[in-house]
Amino acid sequence: MTDVTLYHWEPNANSGKPMLALFEKGVAFDSHYLDLLNFDQHKPDYLAVNPLGTIPAMKHGDLVLTESTAIMEYVDEAFDGPRLMPADPVDQWRTRWWMKFMDQWLAPSFSMIGWSVFVGPSVRQKDPAELEAAIDRIPMPERRVAWRKAINGAFSPEEMAESQRRVGLGIGYLEEALGQRLWLASDSYGLADINGFNLAYAIPLSQPHLCNDELTPNIMRWLRAIYARPATRACWALGRTDLARRISLLESEPA
Amino acid sequence: MTGILYHGQPNGPSFTVLAAAFEKGVDLDLRAIDLVAGERHSTALPHPLEVDQSIEGEGPVLVVDGVAMTDSVFLACYLDELGSGPAIRPADPYARWQMMAWCRYVIERVAPAAAALGNAAAPPLGVPAGIASADLEGRWKNAVEGKADDSQLADSRTKIVQAVEKVEAQLADGRDWLMGDFTIADLESHAWLAGMRGIVPEAFASAPLTDAWGARLRARPAVARALGLATIAHPETIWAPGPEINRWG
Repeated sequence: MTDVTLYHWEPNANSGKPMLALFEKGVAFDSHYLDLLNFDQHKPDYLAVNPLGTIPAMKHGDLVLTESTAIMEYVDEAFDGPRLMPADPVDQWRTRWWMKFMDQWLAPSFSMIGWSVFVGPSVRQKDPAELEAAIDRIPMPERRVAWRKAINGAFSPEEMAESQRRVGLGIGYLEEALGQRLWLASDSYGLADINGFNLAYAIPLSQPHLCNDELTPNIMRWLRAIYARPATRACWALGRTDLARRISLLESEPA
Repeated sequence: MTGILYHGQPNGPSFTVLAAAFEKGVDLDLRAIDLVAGERHSTALPHPLEVDQSIEGEGPVLVVDGVAMTDSVFLACYLDELGSGPAIRPADPYARWQMMAWCRYVIERVAPAAAALGNAAAPPLGVPAGIASADLEGRWKNAVEGKADDSQLADSRTKIVQAVEKVEAQLADGRDWLMGDFTIADLESHAWLAGMRGIVPEAFASAPLTDAWGARLRARPAVARALGLATIAHPETIWAPGPEINRWG
Protein backbone atom coordinates (compact mmCIF):
# COMPACT_ATOMS: atom_id res chain seq x y z
CA MET A 1 0.00 0.00 0.00
CA THR A 2 1.20 3.46 -0.81
CA ASP A 3 -0.41 6.86 -0.47
CA VAL A 4 1.61 8.32 -3.36
CA THR A 5 0.35 8.33 -6.95
CA LEU A 6 2.39 9.84 -9.75
CA TYR A 7 0.72 10.81 -13.02
CA HIS A 8 3.41 10.80 -15.66
CA TRP A 9 4.39 10.08 -19.25
CA GLU A 10 7.74 8.60 -20.24
CA PRO A 11 10.78 8.82 -17.95
CA ASN A 12 11.91 11.86 -19.89
CA ALA A 13 11.93 15.63 -19.39
CA ASN A 14 9.37 16.87 -16.84
CA SER A 15 7.73 13.51 -16.13
CA GLY A 16 11.04 11.85 -15.40
CA LYS A 17 12.11 14.38 -12.77
CA PRO A 18 9.76 13.37 -9.92
CA MET A 19 9.86 9.72 -11.09
CA LEU A 20 13.62 9.52 -10.65
CA ALA A 21 13.52 11.52 -7.41
CA LEU A 22 10.99 9.05 -5.96
CA PHE A 23 13.12 6.07 -7.01
CA GLU A 24 16.25 7.66 -5.50
CA LYS A 25 14.43 8.30 -2.22
CA GLY A 26 13.12 4.74 -2.18
CA VAL A 27 9.50 5.92 -2.06
CA ALA A 28 6.97 3.36 -3.33
CA PHE A 29 4.35 4.95 -5.59
CA ASP A 30 1.45 4.01 -7.81
CA SER A 31 2.49 4.76 -11.36
CA HIS A 32 -0.31 6.23 -13.46
CA TYR A 33 0.97 6.38 -17.04
CA LEU A 34 -0.59 9.02 -19.29
CA ASP A 35 -0.01 8.72 -23.03
CA LEU A 36 0.93 12.24 -24.06
CA LEU A 37 0.63 11.31 -27.72
CA ASN A 38 -2.94 10.17 -27.13
CA PHE A 39 -3.75 13.42 -25.24
CA ASP A 40 -4.58 11.48 -22.05
CA GLN A 41 -3.49 14.53 -20.06
CA HIS A 42 -6.42 16.58 -21.37
CA LYS A 43 -9.12 14.00 -20.65
CA PRO A 44 -11.68 14.50 -17.86
CA ASP A 45 -10.20 11.83 -15.58
CA TYR A 46 -6.88 13.63 -15.42
CA LEU A 47 -8.30 17.17 -15.47
CA ALA A 48 -10.09 16.18 -12.26
CA VAL A 49 -6.60 15.72 -10.76
CA ASN A 50 -4.86 18.66 -12.44
CA PRO A 51 -7.26 21.13 -14.08
CA LEU A 52 -4.38 22.72 -16.01
CA GLY A 53 -3.74 19.45 -17.84
CA THR A 54 0.03 19.61 -17.42
CA ILE A 55 2.12 16.51 -16.70
CA PRO A 56 3.35 15.40 -14.20
CA ALA A 57 1.19 15.64 -11.11
CA MET A 58 1.55 13.83 -7.82
CA LYS A 59 -0.98 12.88 -5.18
CA HIS A 60 0.27 12.35 -1.65
CA GLY A 61 -2.70 11.38 0.48
CA ASP A 62 -5.22 14.13 -0.23
CA LEU A 63 -2.59 16.59 -1.43
CA VAL A 64 -2.12 17.29 -5.15
CA LEU A 65 1.16 18.74 -6.40
CA THR A 66 2.19 20.01 -9.84
CA GLU A 67 5.30 21.68 -11.34
CA SER A 68 7.96 18.99 -11.72
CA THR A 69 10.88 20.84 -10.16
CA ALA A 70 8.85 21.99 -7.17
CA ILE A 71 7.56 18.40 -6.76
CA MET A 72 11.15 17.16 -6.61
CA GLU A 73 11.94 19.53 -3.74
CA TYR A 74 8.80 18.30 -1.96
CA VAL A 75 9.73 14.65 -2.48
CA ASP A 76 13.14 15.32 -0.97
CA GLU A 77 11.72 17.08 2.09
CA ALA A 78 8.60 15.02 2.77
CA PHE A 79 10.08 11.52 2.69
CA ASP A 80 12.89 9.62 4.36
CA GLY A 81 15.77 8.41 2.27
CA PRO A 82 19.02 9.91 1.02
CA ARG A 83 19.05 13.70 0.97
CA LEU A 84 18.93 15.01 -2.60
CA MET A 85 19.28 18.73 -1.82
CA PRO A 86 22.85 19.49 -0.73
CA ALA A 87 23.31 20.63 2.88
CA ASP A 88 25.42 23.69 2.10
CA PRO A 89 23.36 26.87 1.41
CA VAL A 90 25.56 27.92 -1.53
CA ASP A 91 25.17 24.45 -3.07
CA GLN A 92 21.41 24.74 -2.53
CA TRP A 93 21.43 28.05 -4.37
CA ARG A 94 23.47 26.50 -7.21
CA THR A 95 21.08 23.54 -7.39
CA ARG A 96 18.11 25.87 -7.83
CA TRP A 97 19.98 28.12 -10.29
CA TRP A 98 20.76 25.17 -12.56
CA MET A 99 17.26 23.75 -12.35
CA LYS A 100 15.76 27.10 -13.37
CA PHE A 101 18.32 27.57 -16.12
CA MET A 102 17.49 24.15 -17.52
CA ASP A 103 13.70 24.45 -17.00
CA GLN A 104 13.37 27.86 -18.60
CA TRP A 105 16.22 28.26 -21.06
CA LEU A 106 17.77 24.97 -22.13
CA ALA A 107 14.90 22.47 -21.90
CA PRO A 108 12.44 24.54 -23.98
CA SER A 109 15.05 24.62 -26.76
CA PHE A 110 15.62 20.86 -26.58
CA SER A 111 11.91 20.22 -26.51
CA MET A 112 11.21 22.48 -29.48
CA ILE A 113 13.58 20.29 -31.47
CA GLY A 114 12.13 17.13 -29.89
CA TRP A 115 8.57 18.13 -30.62
CA SER A 116 9.35 18.95 -34.21
CA VAL A 117 11.11 15.62 -34.87
CA PHE A 118 9.18 13.27 -32.55
CA VAL A 119 5.93 14.53 -31.01
CA GLY A 120 4.63 16.36 -34.07
CA PRO A 121 5.20 13.52 -36.57
CA SER A 122 3.91 10.96 -34.03
CA VAL A 123 0.48 12.56 -33.74
CA ARG A 124 0.18 13.99 -37.25
CA GLN A 125 -1.22 10.72 -38.64
CA LYS A 126 -4.36 11.03 -36.56
CA ASP A 127 -7.66 12.20 -38.04
CA PRO A 128 -7.49 16.03 -38.42
CA ALA A 129 -10.94 16.62 -36.93
CA GLU A 130 -10.10 14.41 -33.97
CA LEU A 131 -6.80 16.28 -33.51
CA GLU A 132 -8.50 19.66 -33.62
CA ALA A 133 -11.01 18.52 -31.02
CA ALA A 134 -8.17 17.23 -28.85
CA ILE A 135 -6.37 20.57 -29.06
CA ASP A 136 -9.54 22.46 -28.19
CA ARG A 137 -9.71 20.51 -24.94
CA ILE A 138 -6.30 21.80 -23.76
CA PRO A 139 -6.94 24.12 -20.81
CA MET A 140 -3.91 26.44 -21.12
CA PRO A 141 -3.82 28.76 -24.16
CA GLU A 142 0.01 28.57 -24.24
CA ARG A 143 -0.15 24.80 -24.59
CA ARG A 144 -2.76 25.02 -27.37
CA VAL A 145 -0.39 27.25 -29.36
CA ALA A 146 2.52 24.87 -28.76
CA TRP A 147 0.54 21.79 -29.82
CA ARG A 148 -0.74 23.45 -32.99
CA LYS A 149 2.81 24.42 -33.92
CA ALA A 150 4.14 20.93 -33.22
CA ILE A 151 1.40 19.19 -35.15
CA ASN A 152 1.57 21.54 -38.11
CA GLY A 153 5.36 21.58 -38.15
CA ALA A 154 5.04 25.35 -37.82
CA PHE A 155 8.11 26.24 -35.81
CA SER A 156 9.79 28.95 -37.90
CA PRO A 157 13.35 28.46 -39.19
CA GLU A 158 14.38 31.36 -36.92
CA GLU A 159 12.86 29.68 -33.87
CA MET A 160 14.53 26.37 -34.69
CA ALA A 161 17.89 28.07 -35.32
CA GLU A 162 17.65 29.88 -31.99
CA SER A 163 16.85 26.61 -30.23
CA GLN A 164 19.82 24.92 -31.89
CA ARG A 165 22.06 27.86 -30.89
CA ARG A 166 20.97 27.49 -27.27
CA VAL A 167 21.43 23.72 -27.31
CA GLY A 168 25.00 24.20 -28.55
CA LEU A 169 25.78 26.79 -25.89
CA GLY A 170 24.00 24.80 -23.18
CA ILE A 171 26.06 21.69 -23.88
CA GLY A 172 29.17 23.85 -23.46
CA TYR A 173 27.91 25.27 -20.16
CA LEU A 174 27.13 21.78 -18.83
CA GLU A 175 30.57 20.52 -19.86
CA GLU A 176 32.21 23.49 -18.15
CA ALA A 177 30.25 23.03 -14.91
CA LEU A 178 30.91 19.28 -14.83
CA GLY A 179 34.59 19.99 -15.35
CA GLN A 180 34.59 22.04 -12.15
CA ARG A 181 32.94 19.52 -9.84
CA LEU A 182 31.89 15.90 -9.73
CA TRP A 183 28.15 16.60 -9.98
CA LEU A 184 26.31 19.50 -11.54
CA ALA A 185 25.68 21.68 -8.49
CA SER A 186 27.78 20.19 -5.70
CA ASP A 187 30.08 17.31 -4.79
CA SER A 188 27.13 15.02 -4.08
CA TYR A 189 24.50 13.56 -6.39
CA GLY A 190 21.29 15.53 -6.11
CA LEU A 191 18.24 17.24 -7.55
CA ALA A 192 20.18 19.23 -10.15
CA ASP A 193 21.60 15.98 -11.54
CA ILE A 194 18.18 14.31 -11.62
CA ASN A 195 16.75 17.32 -13.43
CA GLY A 196 19.74 17.52 -15.77
CA PHE A 197 19.75 13.83 -16.61
CA ASN A 198 16.14 13.99 -17.76
CA LEU A 199 17.11 16.81 -20.06
CA ALA A 200 20.44 15.44 -21.25
CA TYR A 201 20.40 11.62 -21.30
CA ALA A 202 19.79 11.48 -25.04
CA ILE A 203 22.03 14.36 -26.13
CA PRO A 204 24.86 12.07 -27.28
CA LEU A 205 22.29 10.52 -29.64
CA SER A 206 20.43 13.65 -30.75
CA GLN A 207 23.45 15.98 -30.96
CA PRO A 208 26.35 13.56 -31.65
CA HIS A 209 28.43 16.26 -33.34
CA LEU A 210 28.29 18.40 -30.15
CA CYS A 211 28.26 15.81 -27.38
CA ASN A 212 30.59 12.80 -27.42
CA ASP A 213 33.52 11.26 -25.53
CA GLU A 214 36.03 13.44 -27.31
CA LEU A 215 34.35 16.84 -27.11
CA THR A 216 32.45 16.54 -23.84
CA PRO A 217 34.12 13.90 -21.65
CA ASN A 218 32.66 15.35 -18.46
CA ILE A 219 29.08 15.20 -19.70
CA MET A 220 29.64 11.61 -20.83
CA ARG A 221 31.20 10.66 -17.47
CA TRP A 222 28.24 12.26 -15.67
CA LEU A 223 25.56 10.62 -17.83
CA ARG A 224 27.15 7.16 -17.49
CA ALA A 225 27.48 7.58 -13.71
CA ILE A 226 23.79 8.43 -13.40
CA TYR A 227 22.78 5.63 -15.75
CA ALA A 228 24.71 3.17 -13.54
CA ARG A 229 22.53 3.96 -10.51
CA PRO A 230 19.91 1.31 -9.68
CA ALA A 231 17.24 4.00 -9.30
CA THR A 232 17.84 5.17 -12.87
CA ARG A 233 17.50 1.62 -14.24
CA ALA A 234 14.28 1.06 -12.31
CA CYS A 235 12.89 4.41 -13.44
CA TRP A 236 13.64 3.98 -17.13
CA ALA A 237 12.12 0.49 -17.03
CA LEU A 238 8.76 2.29 -16.78
CA GLY A 239 9.27 3.73 -20.27
CA ARG A 240 7.05 2.34 -23.03
CA THR A 241 8.34 4.06 -26.19
CA ASP A 242 11.52 4.48 -28.20
CA LEU A 243 11.99 7.81 -26.45
CA ALA A 244 12.96 6.15 -23.17
CA ARG A 245 14.93 3.37 -24.95
CA ARG A 246 17.41 5.96 -26.18
CA ILE A 247 19.02 5.61 -22.76
CA SER A 248 20.66 2.34 -23.84
CA LEU A 249 23.24 4.45 -25.67
CA LEU A 250 24.82 5.04 -22.26
CA GLU A 251 25.72 1.36 -22.06
CA SER A 252 28.58 2.11 -24.44
CA GLU A 253 32.11 2.20 -23.06
CA PRO A 254 34.01 5.51 -23.06
CA ALA A 255 35.85 5.90 -26.36
CA MET B 1 32.86 37.09 5.88
CA THR B 2 30.50 39.81 4.64
CA GLY B 3 28.77 39.24 1.34
CA ILE B 4 28.68 41.99 -1.26
CA LEU B 5 25.29 42.72 -2.81
CA TYR B 6 25.29 44.62 -6.08
CA HIS B 7 21.73 45.91 -6.48
CA GLY B 8 19.63 48.36 -8.45
CA GLN B 9 16.77 50.60 -7.29
CA PRO B 10 14.44 48.68 -4.92
CA ASN B 11 12.14 47.38 -7.65
CA GLY B 12 11.79 43.96 -9.24
CA PRO B 13 14.43 41.41 -8.20
CA SER B 14 16.60 43.97 -6.37
CA PHE B 15 13.63 44.72 -4.12
CA THR B 16 13.14 41.06 -3.22
CA VAL B 17 16.74 40.50 -2.24
CA LEU B 18 17.23 43.74 -0.30
CA ALA B 19 14.02 43.20 1.69
CA ALA B 20 14.88 39.52 2.32
CA ALA B 21 18.33 40.47 3.63
CA PHE B 22 16.81 43.01 6.03
CA GLU B 23 14.03 40.62 7.11
CA LYS B 24 16.67 38.02 7.96
CA GLY B 25 19.15 40.44 9.53
CA VAL B 26 21.96 39.42 7.19
CA ASP B 27 24.69 42.00 7.18
CA LEU B 28 25.76 42.74 3.61
CA ASP B 29 28.06 45.25 1.97
CA LEU B 30 25.44 47.01 -0.18
CA ARG B 31 26.71 48.43 -3.45
CA ALA B 32 24.16 50.30 -5.53
CA ILE B 33 24.69 50.04 -9.27
CA ASP B 34 22.74 51.54 -12.16
CA LEU B 35 21.13 48.52 -13.81
CA VAL B 36 19.50 50.70 -16.49
CA ALA B 37 22.91 52.04 -17.50
CA GLY B 38 24.15 48.44 -17.78
CA GLU B 39 26.60 48.62 -14.87
CA ARG B 40 25.90 44.96 -14.08
CA HIS B 41 27.97 44.14 -17.17
CA SER B 42 31.00 46.18 -16.13
CA THR B 43 34.30 44.57 -15.22
CA ALA B 44 33.80 45.75 -11.61
CA LEU B 45 31.56 42.68 -11.13
CA PRO B 46 32.56 39.03 -11.43
CA HIS B 47 31.18 37.33 -14.55
CA PRO B 48 30.80 33.59 -14.08
CA LEU B 49 28.12 31.72 -16.03
CA GLU B 50 25.58 32.20 -13.25
CA VAL B 51 25.83 35.99 -13.55
CA ASP B 52 26.02 36.26 -17.32
CA GLN B 53 23.32 33.69 -18.10
CA SER B 54 20.92 34.44 -15.26
CA ILE B 55 17.35 33.87 -16.43
CA GLU B 56 16.29 36.93 -14.47
CA GLY B 57 18.10 39.40 -16.71
CA GLU B 58 19.13 42.57 -14.88
CA GLY B 59 18.83 41.34 -11.30
CA PRO B 60 21.09 41.76 -8.28
CA VAL B 61 24.34 39.83 -7.76
CA LEU B 62 25.39 38.52 -4.35
CA VAL B 63 29.07 37.64 -3.94
CA VAL B 64 30.03 35.49 -0.93
CA ASP B 65 33.52 34.04 -0.52
CA GLY B 66 34.20 34.49 -4.21
CA VAL B 67 30.96 32.82 -5.36
CA ALA B 68 28.70 35.15 -7.37
CA MET B 69 25.03 34.24 -7.04
CA THR B 70 21.94 35.47 -8.91
CA ASP B 71 18.17 34.99 -9.27
CA SER B 72 16.19 36.72 -6.56
CA VAL B 73 13.99 33.93 -5.21
CA PHE B 74 16.97 31.62 -4.78
CA LEU B 75 19.04 34.40 -3.22
CA ALA B 76 16.17 34.92 -0.77
CA CYS B 77 16.19 31.16 0.00
CA TYR B 78 19.94 31.41 0.62
CA LEU B 79 19.49 34.40 2.93
CA ASP B 80 16.75 32.49 4.75
CA GLU B 81 19.23 29.69 5.48
CA LEU B 82 21.90 32.14 6.55
CA GLY B 83 20.15 34.83 8.59
CA SER B 84 18.89 34.83 12.16
CA GLY B 85 15.59 36.64 11.56
CA PRO B 86 12.24 34.80 11.47
CA ALA B 87 11.90 32.27 8.65
CA ILE B 88 10.66 33.60 5.30
CA ARG B 89 9.80 30.12 4.01
CA PRO B 90 7.27 27.73 5.55
CA ALA B 91 8.77 24.75 7.41
CA ASP B 92 6.13 22.23 6.32
CA PRO B 93 7.09 20.54 3.02
CA TYR B 94 3.66 20.98 1.41
CA ALA B 95 3.43 24.64 2.43
CA ARG B 96 6.94 25.09 1.09
CA TRP B 97 5.91 23.47 -2.19
CA GLN B 98 3.01 25.91 -2.38
CA MET B 99 5.42 28.81 -1.91
CA MET B 100 7.93 27.54 -4.47
CA ALA B 101 5.19 26.81 -7.01
CA TRP B 102 3.77 30.31 -6.46
CA CYS B 103 7.20 31.87 -6.93
CA ARG B 104 7.71 29.79 -10.06
CA TYR B 105 4.46 31.23 -11.45
CA VAL B 106 5.67 34.76 -10.69
CA ILE B 107 9.11 34.09 -12.16
CA GLU B 108 7.81 32.44 -15.33
CA ARG B 109 4.59 34.34 -16.11
CA VAL B 110 4.44 37.62 -14.19
CA ALA B 111 8.06 38.81 -14.23
CA PRO B 112 8.55 38.62 -18.02
CA ALA B 113 5.24 40.45 -18.53
CA ALA B 114 6.09 43.17 -16.00
CA ALA B 115 9.60 43.64 -17.40
CA ALA B 116 8.27 43.92 -20.97
CA LEU B 117 5.65 46.49 -19.96
CA GLY B 118 8.04 48.40 -17.71
CA ASN B 119 10.68 48.66 -20.43
CA ALA B 120 8.10 49.70 -23.01
CA ALA B 121 6.90 52.48 -20.69
CA ALA B 122 10.39 53.71 -19.83
CA PRO B 123 12.92 52.45 -22.37
CA PRO B 124 16.61 52.43 -21.43
CA LEU B 125 18.72 54.96 -23.32
CA GLY B 126 21.31 52.66 -24.82
CA VAL B 127 22.53 49.07 -25.04
CA PRO B 128 25.46 48.66 -22.65
CA ALA B 129 28.75 47.16 -23.80
CA GLY B 130 29.87 43.76 -22.62
CA ILE B 131 26.63 41.79 -22.47
CA ALA B 132 27.68 38.14 -22.68
CA SER B 133 24.26 36.65 -23.40
CA ALA B 134 23.06 37.21 -26.96
CA ASP B 135 19.42 36.79 -26.01
CA LEU B 136 19.68 39.31 -23.15
CA GLU B 137 21.43 41.70 -25.52
CA GLY B 138 18.53 41.20 -27.94
CA ARG B 139 16.06 42.19 -25.22
CA TRP B 140 18.11 45.32 -24.53
CA LYS B 141 18.12 46.25 -28.22
CA ASN B 142 14.37 45.78 -28.50
CA ALA B 143 13.80 47.82 -25.35
CA VAL B 144 16.03 50.69 -26.46
CA GLU B 145 14.51 50.78 -29.94
CA GLY B 146 10.97 50.48 -28.57
CA LYS B 147 10.47 47.34 -30.67
CA ALA B 148 7.89 45.72 -28.45
CA ASP B 149 5.54 43.29 -30.14
CA ASP B 150 1.95 44.56 -29.74
CA SER B 151 0.51 41.10 -29.21
CA GLN B 152 3.12 40.36 -26.54
CA LEU B 153 2.36 43.64 -24.77
CA ALA B 154 -1.38 42.91 -24.88
CA ASP B 155 -0.73 39.42 -23.52
CA SER B 156 1.53 40.89 -20.84
CA ARG B 157 -1.29 43.18 -19.68
CA THR B 158 -3.55 40.14 -19.45
CA LYS B 159 -0.91 38.34 -17.39
CA ILE B 160 -0.79 41.26 -14.91
CA VAL B 161 -4.59 41.35 -14.65
CA GLN B 162 -4.58 37.59 -13.99
CA ALA B 163 -1.79 37.92 -11.41
CA VAL B 164 -3.73 40.50 -9.40
CA GLU B 165 -6.84 38.30 -9.63
CA LYS B 166 -4.75 35.43 -8.28
CA VAL B 167 -3.44 37.54 -5.38
CA GLU B 168 -6.97 38.78 -4.65
CA ALA B 169 -8.32 35.20 -4.63
CA GLN B 170 -5.49 34.00 -2.41
CA LEU B 171 -6.25 36.71 0.16
CA ALA B 172 -10.03 36.13 0.03
CA ASP B 173 -10.12 34.05 3.22
CA GLY B 174 -8.92 37.03 5.21
CA ARG B 175 -5.28 36.01 5.55
CA ASP B 176 -2.63 38.71 5.88
CA TRP B 177 -0.01 37.09 3.64
CA LEU B 178 -0.16 34.98 0.49
CA MET B 179 1.00 31.75 2.14
CA GLY B 180 -0.56 32.49 5.52
CA ASP B 181 2.68 33.46 7.21
CA PHE B 182 4.86 36.11 5.60
CA THR B 183 7.20 34.55 2.99
CA ILE B 184 9.38 35.16 -0.03
CA ALA B 185 6.22 34.81 -2.15
CA ASP B 186 4.96 38.13 -0.75
CA LEU B 187 8.23 39.87 -1.56
CA GLU B 188 8.57 38.42 -5.06
CA SER B 189 4.93 39.14 -5.98
CA HIS B 190 5.17 42.72 -4.76
CA ALA B 191 8.52 43.15 -6.47
CA TRP B 192 7.01 42.69 -9.93
CA LEU B 193 3.49 44.03 -9.35
CA ALA B 194 4.25 47.32 -7.55
CA GLY B 195 5.28 49.07 -10.75
CA MET B 196 2.26 47.78 -12.65
CA ARG B 197 -0.19 50.08 -10.83
CA GLY B 198 0.81 52.95 -13.06
CA ILE B 199 1.04 50.89 -16.26
CA VAL B 200 -1.92 48.50 -15.95
CA PRO B 201 -4.26 50.47 -13.65
CA GLU B 202 -7.27 48.39 -14.69
CA ALA B 203 -5.73 45.37 -12.97
CA PHE B 204 -5.98 47.16 -9.63
CA ALA B 205 -9.34 48.91 -10.21
CA SER B 206 -11.20 46.66 -7.80
CA ALA B 207 -8.59 44.81 -5.80
CA PRO B 208 -9.09 46.00 -2.21
CA LEU B 209 -7.42 42.95 -0.66
CA THR B 210 -4.35 43.43 -2.86
CA ASP B 211 -4.25 47.12 -1.93
CA ALA B 212 -4.36 46.31 1.79
CA TRP B 213 -1.76 43.56 1.39
CA GLY B 214 0.62 45.95 -0.41
CA ALA B 215 0.17 48.54 2.34
CA ARG B 216 0.84 45.90 5.03
CA LEU B 217 3.94 44.79 3.18
CA ARG B 218 5.34 48.28 2.80
CA ALA B 219 4.74 48.92 6.52
CA ARG B 220 7.14 46.14 7.51
CA PRO B 221 10.36 47.71 8.81
CA ALA B 222 12.58 45.57 6.57
CA VAL B 223 10.56 46.43 3.47
CA ALA B 224 10.49 50.13 4.38
CA ARG B 225 14.25 50.00 4.82
CA ALA B 226 14.68 48.42 1.39
CA LEU B 227 12.44 51.01 -0.24
CA GLY B 228 14.33 53.71 1.68
CA LEU B 229 17.44 52.87 -0.34
CA ALA B 230 15.83 54.39 -3.44
CA THR B 231 17.66 57.41 -4.76
CA ILE B 232 14.63 58.60 -6.72
CA ALA B 233 11.02 59.30 -5.76
CA HIS B 234 9.42 56.32 -7.51
CA PRO B 235 11.75 53.32 -7.75
CA GLU B 236 8.88 51.18 -9.07
CA THR B 237 9.07 53.09 -12.37
CA ILE B 238 12.68 52.01 -12.99
CA TRP B 239 13.11 48.97 -15.27
CA ALA B 240 15.95 47.28 -17.08
CA PRO B 241 15.47 44.24 -19.35
CA GLY B 242 14.25 41.26 -17.36
CA PRO B 243 13.44 37.63 -18.05
CA GLU B 244 12.34 36.76 -21.57
CA ILE B 245 8.77 35.97 -22.52
CA ASN B 246 8.33 32.22 -22.96
CA ARG B 247 9.45 31.38 -26.50
CA TRP B 248 6.75 28.72 -26.80
CA GLY B 249 4.03 31.39 -26.68
